[in-house]
Amino acid sequence: MHIPARCLVLGGLAAAVLVPRAASALGKPELVEILKAVDERQRNQGDWRSLVYMEQKEKNKVDVAHEALVFRRSQDQRFMILFTKPKASQGQGYLRIDKNLWFYDPSVGKWERRTERERIGGTNSRRTDFDESRLAEEYEPEDNGEAKLGAYTAQVMTLRGKPGIDLAFPVVKLWVDKDTKNVLKRQEFALSGRLLRTSYYPKWKKAFSESKKTDVWFPEEMRFYDEVEKANSTLILLKSVDMKPLEANLFTKAWLESKSR
Amino acid sequence: MGNLLLDLRIASRSLFQHRRRTLFLGLAIAGVTMLLVLLNSLSAGIRETMIRAATTLSTGHVNVGGFFKVTKSGGGPVVTEYEKVIAAVRRSVPEMEGLVHRGRGWAKLVSDLGSTQAGVSGVDIRNEPGFRRVIRLTSGSLEDLAQPNTMLLFESQVERLKVRVGDAVTVSAQTTRGTANTVDCRVVAIAKDLGLLSKFGVFVPVATTRNLYQLRPDTTGVVQIYLRPQYLPQAQSIAARLRGQLAALGWSVMEAEPQPFWMKFQSVAREEWTGQKLDVTTWDDEISFLTWTLDVLGWLTGALLAILLAIVVIGIMNTMWIAIRERTREIGTLRAIGMQRTGVLRMFLYESMLLGLAGSTSGMLIGLAVGSVVNAASLRVPITVQLFLMSDTLHLAMQGGVLFRALLLITLVTTLAALYPAYRAARLRPVSAMSHFG
Repeated sequence: MHIPARCLVLGGLAAAVLVPRAASALGKPELVEILKAVDERQRNQGDWRSLVYMEQKEKNKVDVAHEALVFRRSQDQRFMILFTKPKASQGQGYLRIDKNLWFYDPSVGKWERRTERERIGGTNSRRTDFDESRLAEEYEPEDNGEAKLGAYTAQVMTLRGKPGIDLAFPVVKLWVDKDTKNVLKRQEFALSGRLLRTSYYPKWKKAFSESKKTDVWFPEEMRFYDEVEKANSTLILLKSVDMKPLEANLFTKAWLESKSR
Repeated sequence: MGNLLLDLRIASRSLFQHRRRTLFLGLAIAGVTMLLVLLNSLSAGIRETMIRAATTLSTGHVNVGGFFKVTKSGGGPVVTEYEKVIAAVRRSVPEMEGLVHRGRGWAKLVSDLGSTQAGVSGVDIRNEPGFRRVIRLTSGSLEDLAQPNTMLLFESQVERLKVRVGDAVTVSAQTTRGTANTVDCRVVAIAKDLGLLSKFGVFVPVATTRNLYQLRPDTTGVVQIYLRPQYLPQAQSIAARLRGQLAALGWSVMEAEPQPFWMKFQSVAREEWTGQKLDVTTWDDEISFLTWTLDVLGWLTGALLAILLAIVVIGIMNTMWIAIRERTREIGTLRAIGMQRTGVLRMFLYESMLLGLAGSTSGMLIGLAVGSVVNAASLRVPITVQLFLMSDTLHLAMQGGVLFRALLLITLVTTLAALYPAYRAARLRPVSAMSHFG
């Protein structure tokens, strides 16, 4: 499925202005079911390895691009990123141990504990953008009706963080494709209610998971637009997704350190 | 007393008799003294300016800051129940002249045309009398900083953000729980730059920092303690005492580490504890990343003076050798008519001391005059120097103690330089001295 980002943006605007909302509002249980479906389509119940290309554009700054490998393990929510390009950031990485995100920089040879809401590689992406979707676990949905987003009909909902869960964005507005249950657009707000980031997911792909015994969907392309600093944007491309079992000792500090030796 | 006056008269007559030599050496001594006075005044001036600017912008003489960690990895520079901390400080620091408390944080500032990262200090402007003495506004009003969601910026930040008084700036940061939050602030005052600290610091009302970082009303970032001037040199020992007393009162207190609070984030994040830990620091710790400039200046001054003093010592010794050679018969005659060896020794020492005193007094007066002219001219310094100086003009602090020490040092060194030649002169035998030709 390929939707040009520009179409989504224009479609979103048109939907907001021209298309009337659907009459019937969905109840909370139905919205939770949609969120569960969104999460389930992306969950592979096993290991995950993918190549990620990140590009950050900022006003009056040189574009920054990174290439990294992302590793995940569903059972114990393990997560790791290893930067492979450019040379300056080769060997750097993030490792999630329990609920702590650690950052390793081989040039100083030290591990630093970082917040889970850290901007990955200096881009406007977060750990959650690469991790398994847990929307139903983390947020309470609220119906905002239906809207047209380009050629797609989307279920729009506002998600508010559940009490006791620390989230980078406490309020999220979500556009979910009614037919496929893929996320088309997402807006993230600050506690103050200010819109911080708008994300578009123009390309969704599927791959067969041996562990799940069915297809797993993932956004092949993600575009994040900074709504505070309007000129800044981030492009994320997910390539070479592989869901075969990974080595048992992969998610360790020693393994990540060994990659830069 | 009569002997002393006689010796001094002989010494001064002898100096007058050899006026070319006296003038030459006196000028050299005056030059060295002037340099010593100016360099010491510069060093003291930088230190004074630095302390004044730093203790207004970012630190008290002694600070009680700290960190509150909600989780092992998440937390911020927060002091909870700060009123209890203030009460403990009032009891433990009788040397205190006053105190203020401020919010602390780090945030991204975004305007329509630019953005920058900055340390955000939350102030209660009505209780910040020092502000008015140091901050020089180019536009706006400091009083307006009492209104909610307002901001004071410095000129260099204004340049980056391209804003004016009345414009809005979005302050974006993460709360102590890591949740994104923003506050829109109105620029109400723009101040002249005050060196490196003003490059990365903005001021907002303390309530705004609480709102931005989602903190309770009984929290603050730091309690800044200002000592009475006579206790300033004891800041380190007062901080150590306060650290012990806060720990004794049940607070968890961090080990002393001479670093500004923002350099401790990483080490605090690595540690396993959660909850509140207080951190007691001094102004010296908080601007330790700048005070190295004073150390470098001190080393350079010391090295330069050592070289100059060595030249003066060699010059005086050489001149004394020449004088002794020229006056050998005179020494012999004086010894023959009854002058003791100690008398000869004193005569040459007094000569050198008078020369040193006259030279260093003139040098000190010239230094004083040059320093006054520099201060009156308010000489502007280059931007790079401003960063460390924390002022856009050069200020020389000519303190009485510094001047007196310079005068004393130079006079002492010149007197001591003559000691060995004078000793050799006193050892001459009268008969051989009187028959000396040369």
